[in-house]
Order: sequence, then C-alpha cells, then structure tokens
Amino acid sequence: MSYISHYSCSKKAFISICCLLSLSFMTRVYSATPIINIDIRNHLFIPSEITIPENTKVKLIIHNYDEEDEEFESYELNREKVIIGKRKGTIFIGPLPAGEYPFFGEFFPKTAQGKVIVE
Amino acid sequence: MLLSSVIIILREVLEAALLFSILIALAKHSAVGNHWILWSLALGLVGAIIYGMNLSNISEWFDGVGQEVANAFIQLFIYAVLVIYMGVQVYFKDQAMTSKYWFLVLMIVITSLAMTREGAEILLYFFSATRRENHYVSVLIGMIIGASIGISVGFLFYYLLVNLRSLWALRIGLALLILVSAGMVSQASLLLIQADWLPAQMPLWDTSTFLSEKTAMGQLMYALIGYEATPTAIQASLYLFGLLFPVGIIALVNSKSIAYNKIAETK
Repeated sequence: MSYISHYSCSKKAFISICCLLSLSFMTRVYSATPIINIDIRNHLFIPSEITIPENTKVKLIIHNYDEEDEEFESYELNREKVIIGKRKGTIFIGPLPAGEYPFFGEFFPKTAQGKVIVE
Repeated sequence: MLLSSVIIILREVLEAALLFSILIALAKHSAVGNHWILWSLALGLVGAIIYGMNLSNISEWFDGVGQEVANAFIQLFIYAVLVIYMGVQVYFKDQAMTSKYWFLVLMIVITSLAMTREGAEILLYFFSATRRENHYVSVLIGMIIGASIGISVGFLFYYLLVNLRSLWALRIGLALLILVSAGMVSQASLLLIQADWLPAQMPLWDTSTFLSEKTAMGQLMYALIGYEATPTAIQASLYLFGLLFPVGIIALVNSKSIAYNKIAETK
C-alpha cells in the first residue's frame, strides 16, 4: 500500500516536472516569435517593406498614428484586420514559403501599400 | 476614392446579401411571412452601430487580438444557429410548423448577426474615408454602387431559388447554406490562426494561379463557398468538418422526420 502511494507520489512529481518543462519550453518558443513593428502615418505603411525568414511565425504590431481607421488586408497572407485610428493591433503571420506577399490598407489603398518579403 | 469604396462595400455586402437571399427564398416556401426581414435589418443596423463603436476597445482584448476572437466567435455562433435552422427546416418540410415564432427568431439571429459584423466595417470605413477631406459624394456614390451590385447578386440567387419547385428549392437552398456555413467555419479558423489561438502552419497548397482571391470570381467564391487559395491543414480540416456536420444533422433529422410521417400515416 505504502509502495503504491509512494509510487503515485513520484509519478505526480514526474508529471509536474514534465508540465513545468513543457511550459517553460512553450514560453521559450513564444518569446522567440520575432516581433516587427509597422507604423501607419498619413495612410502610408512605414516601413512599407519588411523581410522575414522562411518557415517562421512572426508577430506584426501595427501602430496607426492617423486619426482615421485603416484595414490591414492581404490576399496573399490571408490576413484582414481593422486597425482603429490612434490605436495598435497585433497580427500573426507565417510560417510561409519564400516569396513576396503584398499587403495594403483597404480603407486608403491608393497610398497604403506594402509587402512582406520572405526569404 | 470611388473605386475603392465600391470594392470594399461590395465585399462586405456580398456575404450578408447571399445569406439573406437564401433565407428569404426558403422562408417563402415555408410560408412564414416577410415581417422578420424588417426586424433583421433593424437589429442588424443597431448591432453594427454598437459593434462598430466598441471595436476600438474590443480590439485591445486578449493582448491586441480581441477583434479576431470576437469576429471568430460571432462567425461560429452564426454557424451553430444556421445548423439548427437547417435541421428545423428539414424536419418540418412536409408538415406544418408547430412554432413559427422560434423559426423566425433563428432567421433573425442569423441575418442580423451577419449584418452586425459586415455593417460595423462599412460604418468604420465611411467615417474614416470622409473624416479629413470632403469625399462625401464620391464615397457615398461608391458605396451605393457597391451595395447595389452585392444586393443584385443576392436578388439573382433569390429568384433562382423561388422559381424552383418547392423540393428543389429546399435542396439547392440547403446546399448553398451548407457551403456558406462551411465558409464561416473556415473564416473563423483563419481569424483564430491570425490571433495565434490556433497553431500556425505552412499553407497546404496554392491555387492562386488557378483562381486568385483578388478577382471578382474569387471574391464571389470566397463569399459563397469560403474559397481560400492558400489554406493550412487546420483550416482545411475545419472547413471539411463545417461541411460534413450539417450534412450529417440533415440526414439524421430527415430520417427522423420520415419515420414520424410514416407513424402519422399508419394512424
């Protein structure tokens, strides 16, 4: 009986260590997600070209410094998000094969144009 | 300004118009009147204003991905209600509906929620595009043209369905609804991937050279069947689930309904 309880105790300890390890692994992976900041000013993306590595998930943080809202849109990236004026928004992109992925601001497409270069 | 407002409004209106037209056509066959359309439009407009006004705060939720999460859950909720609606529609296909009230509530929930999401974006666009310079006229004209094209496509589907025999209208209407609802699951999964709530993966395939989402046909297929040129494995499998689940429900309800009718006949 005592053997069983001892066994389950060590089993519990083993599981919790595993959990902790996997948790730390997860947070490590999470923090390893590259972050790229893009500004929107006067309906322009700054920078309008960003380069990211192939097969990698990237966190885009888009800061809209205009009064007006903008919609980040890309058919190639399969992404669509309204970025409210004077606010910021987060968009995760990738992992992607190498290539060029244009994006634009759907509310002001004449000026708001950019692309993600994956290499 | 004119052309971009045509495109943006068309894209938003198209999805809601398709859903509306299929439901109105099917409602015609189940003889529940047309009052519910006004309720849908009114509630959808109020919903769009409330959602649009609060999108700024909603976007800040969950570390900046609140918009994706909220939109995904709206889509999934519409999907769930659509599946229930389709089940009810099939169950009562040969018999008088016991409670038309709840059937109407289902239709109003589906259409007004679809309007809420699309309408909020239209409102934000309108106020953004006309804020600084006096673009009112060109933006408004563009919006009217875009909305007209979208609504026309809706009318096209409506007349296609009401001119069919009752059984075929139900079959084709349901088939279209299943495709639209599977597209909603696919959109919801895409939004959750964008928010990093679902794992990101490499695209499974790329059919953009065959049919690009940028083209008019690509846009129509996106609204109608949830077409994506570069889906990931998770998105594609959720789409497949979204397609097969209502098919299963309809088959189940249909067999129950047939059994019920046989019992009623023998009595």
